[in-house]
Amino acid sequence: MSSLRSEGVAFDLIATSAAAAQIRRRRSRLRNIVFGVIGFLALLLLWKLGVTYLKVPPYIMPAPERVFTALWSGIAVAPSSPLGFYVPLWNTISNALLGFLIGASLGLALGSLMAEFRSVESTLMPYAFALQSLPKIAIAPLIVIWCGFGDGSKVAMAALLAFFPILVNSFAGMRAAEIERIELMQALSATRLQTYYLVKLPSAAPYIFAGLDMGIVYALLGTIVAEFLGAQEGMGVAITKAQAVTDVAGVFAALIVLGVMGIILHLIVRWSERSIIHWADRGKH
Amino acid sequence: MNLAIEAPGVVLAAGHVAASAQVVRNTLIEVQGVVKIYSTVAGESVLALDHVDLNIREREFVCLVGPSGCGKTTLLRLLAGLDHADAGTSSLDGKALNGPSPEVGVVFQQSNLLPWFTVRQNVMLPLRVGGGRRTAEREAAIQQLLEVAGLKGFENKYPYELSGGMQQRAAIVRALARDPKLLLMDEPFGALDALTRERMNAELQRIWMASGKTVVLITHSIDEAIFLGDRVVVMSPRPGRIVRDLQVDLPRPRIATETFGSPTHVRLSREVRALLDG
Repeated sequence: MSSLRSEGVAFDLIATSAAAAQIRRRRSRLRNIVFGVIGFLALLLLWKLGVTYLKVPPYIMPAPERVFTALWSGIAVAPSSPLGFYVPLWNTISNALLGFLIGASLGLALGSLMAEFRSVESTLMPYAFALQSLPKIAIAPLIVIWCGFGDGSKVAMAALLAFFPILVNSFAGMRAAEIERIELMQALSATRLQTYYLVKLPSAAPYIFAGLDMGIVYALLGTIVAEFLGAQEGMGVAITKAQAVTDVAGVFAALIVLGVMGIILHLIVRWSERSIIHWADRGKH
Repeated sequence: MNLAIEAPGVVLAAGHVAASAQVVRNTLIEVQGVVKIYSTVAGESVLALDHVDLNIREREFVCLVGPSGCGKTTLLRLLAGLDHADAGTSSLDGKALNGPSPEVGVVFQQSNLLPWFTVRQNVMLPLRVGGGRRTAEREAAIQQLLEVAGLKGFENKYPYELSGGMQQRAAIVRALARDPKLLLMDEPFGALDALTRERMNAELQRIWMASGKTVVLITHSIDEAIFLGDRVVVMSPRPGRIVRDLQVDLPRPRIATETFGSPTHVRLSREVRALLDG
């Protein structure tokens, strides 16, 4: 009887401590948010005070409320309005994503072939290194000559920039597959293809996702660079247009939109990584 | 000192082994004059196995013990078809062993479960690859094995959700998935704590008695070897040779509390220890 009672007490204690831990977690999350907001407001205040008291002209550094106005005027419009951010943003994002898909697929395919076949590795590695060392943005003018001032150049630049981190990471990830797992497949007389997609590809998945994470940001970068070099549409064009009339607040607003977009894309990759490779970092004991 | 005095008794025991070895069972594995030479990164050649002869009968449980680096694992890898001998022959059921065979199941030091698959996907893996066939009959047999191994209800868990002992049991079920004749185990319980290990030994004995497989198990634990083995084969430090082949005459099923401390256990463990120390 007494043991039963004490068991009940123990369960109560467990429940209580779990609830307490949850409350602590919630509190610390709330605290982080509060600190974040305070920090942001302090930054805005510092910005405003600096611009006002140092008498910085708005064509060098606009006050925060001007940037906010520019941002709002781009957001508070009909999605199809040519004055808003939606049309150029969609143009930039869709081209960046298409380029990213192309670059990522090629990078994964070539990285896999290089990891799987020594002959492919030794043939392609020198070129991969050479191209990797080259500042790839410097190729942009050439790409524009080849693909024109339209979406073609944007997609090509995005693909080119996304390609390398994914190539390198998938190659490294597959080479890092644990020998014991490959030997397991050998002991089971598995074919090369089976070993590839049942062991090597999932082994490389954490590396590949790190590459995708970099690649998506690079793809956005590549698209913007292509737009700078002469395009009719896109956020890069919006920035150069604002720059041409020294609308610095407009440039800031466009940068903020691009920054937020970059963060969203990064979060999408991270989220899919966590749901697809939930076993990573926990597979070993 | 005490061990040296025991030595004459040891010789007697070995003679006794030879007499009782006449059981009417077919030889499943024949290893004859196997030599294995490794070349190190530095370019030196290392003699890992030096003319090893070993015969194992059907349904026999053989434990290999020896100091680290004595070539136990090398011998096991040869039997698993993961390596090739430089000289000598080995055969399974009369057929030469030249590579991986569906008649051989391997349990590695680590459970080596694939972390991206559930327990069920892991144990079914041998039916998915390398000419393994996914028949309803085999699937039912594997389900049965999962239950015997105490993994019922954990089929859809991922390896990281399982304890070390459960992971290793799943690895044993996977090794038995194709219903092989021979089960090779390389220190399967080395990573487990002592208590779990003892429980796993009892469970392995149960699985083995129920399945009627031939087992070759490598271990560092003399007690484990005596508890599990019909025979304890002792290997010498590099170059690996077989120095003694001891019969363990203890009734089955063995129970830890009865086996450990029994005269046979004490005698055998002293003998093995003397060989390993010598």
